[in-house]
Amino acid sequence: MSTDIDQPGAWARRILSSAEPFLAATTRPTVAIEPPTDADVLALKEGLTRISELLDTPSSDVNHDLLNVIGAIRGYAEMLQEDIALLHPALGQTLPALLSSVGSTPPAADALVGTPPPVPTQKEAGVILAVDDMPENRELISRLLSRAGHTVISAESGEEALELLETRGVDVMLLDLMMPGIGGAEVLKKMKEHEGLRATPVIMISGRQDMDQIITCIQAGADDYLLKPFNPVLLQARISAGIERKRWHDREEDYRHQLERNERFIRRTFGRYLSDDIVEQLLEAPEGLELGGDLREVTIMMSDICGFTSLAEHLPPTQVVSLLNRYFEAMTAIIFEAEGTIDEFLGDAILAVFGAPRRLDDDPERAVRCALAMREAMEAVNAANALADLPALSQRIALNTGTVIAGNIGSEQRAKYGCVGHAMNVTSRIEGQAAVNEILIAEATRQLLPDGVFRLGEPREIFAKGIEDSILTYPVLGLR
Amino acid sequence: MTVTLRRILLVEDNEVNRNMLTRRLERAGHSVITAADGAIALDMMLKERPALVLMDMNLPVKDGWTACREAQADPEIRDIPIIALTAHAMEEDRARALEAGCADFATKPVDFPALLTVIAAAIDANI
Repeated sequence: MSTDIDQPGAWARRILSSAEPFLAATTRPTVAIEPPTDADVLALKEGLTRISELLDTPSSDVNHDLLNVIGAIRGYAEMLQEDIALLHPALGQTLPALLSSVGSTPPAADALVGTPPPVPTQKEAGVILAVDDMPENRELISRLLSRAGHTVISAESGEEALELLETRGVDVMLLDLMMPGIGGAEVLKKMKEHEGLRATPVIMISGRQDMDQIITCIQAGADDYLLKPFNPVLLQARISAGIERKRWHDREEDYRHQLERNERFIRRTFGRYLSDDIVEQLLEAPEGLELGGDLREVTIMMSDICGFTSLAEHLPPTQVVSLLNRYFEAMTAIIFEAEGTIDEFLGDAILAVFGAPRRLDDDPERAVRCALAMREAMEAVNAANALADLPALSQRIALNTGTVIAGNIGSEQRAKYGCVGHAMNVTSRIEGQAAVNEILIAEATRQLLPDGVFRLGEPREIFAKGIEDSILTYPVLGLR
Repeated sequence: MTVTLRRILLVEDNEVNRNMLTRRLERAGHSVITAADGAIALDMMLKERPALVLMDMNLPVKDGWTACREAQADPEIRDIPIIALTAHAMEEDRARALEAGCADFATKPVDFPALLTVIAAAIDANI
């Protein structure tokens, strides 16, 4: 039972604020919605307008009116979610947020990837546990519900009921209030304390004179009640609604597990290449994981270890691996710290980009600072190598800025976030011409650096295989 | 088990909510006629003979409680099941709706899948 209804004004305000992203998504032309569904979008918007009007002009009947409008918003939002949320990722995110603030069932986690729980079919049959100490009552319930296709199991005491609940999958429980031994209220309390049984819907059965205790049970989590003697229609309707509720709950559980699996997958796949905050960003907007990419300007960094191939030939494989790991570990930390994205490790080379998947204004400057930090860190890496009797390493780094296609490239089975384009090849050529321990940046990157921050050496013109024009480059000497 | 689709009379004074419920019921395959107050509702029950009535209890002109009691007293229409729509907060409304002769009740804001179940059960029971 929601306490929000005690303060409909506060509730309405919360709905309005969670509707903002929805309004923004449908007002922007990013979401094109065809009729007749666009009428639902308009009706939902109209509902939101009505809410703000009601909040502005409170009257005696404002709560009744608010409840109606909120109900209408919920209805339209549910319809839109059934119809089009999947087609429009923006709505797929905003509708569940709106719905959960309207007090509906879908959890906030719905915003992630996956198929939303399907609408349960009508009048499903289920497993009903009837708990009553009177044999004739158990017999009556069993007869009425079996005829409707349900499977009925029964218990004659609270103790037996709790035992059956643990061993059988029960969809709905009909629970007599007055029983010798553990009474209905006590059974209910024990269920609500039990993690695995808490979600099973409970319908209390009692005589009219026990209304006070029924209300206590409903406050303690019972879903509904029936008065003896039973009205068969009411019994059927309560059971169907209870099964429905249980099915929704089960589907939500499945769905939640699916989402958790997806999240683990995203973390595992991308954690290696991207810093934690970018993984978080992907988790928040998983439609970014679709195959395909977009054109964007990035600063590309390529580094490798000088003479590594011949070095590797003279060392046992285990030492080569520990040498590389120590080096990569140090460099990865520095690149993530500078908010770079590691595109790939190629043997002893690292390919990283600044500006994808997230572009920042100071991408080129951060890239150069990152390169300087990497060069400085080599001292510590080599000190650790010396302790382990491993040879010292030296690296070279090249930076270039240009337009590339960034996105998830590959096949459905195997895809990774990466960049392709001419600028990538140019960077590789520059790197080939860099001297030991040198950081060489292209003119394209230099132009984007702020004045007076870095000390640069004399320009150098590079002619590279497969590239028509010469490339103008500058060695970075350090900070000013 | 099949769901019986019949004509439903929806009685609701709030226009936004009435339009929404009409659209959802129609999408679920029901045919819907509407009334905005209790007096018109009784009139339409007599003339249109819907298979079921969904009635908001807080209505102008003649409220839902009175309309239900009058429907119960009229042998012509007493067999048409009425499902009361009551405000979520008011627990005692439920008992009151049953006493007034409603076949069942649903709370607002409406849990739509549950409402469809209640509608199907009430129509089936009445055939």
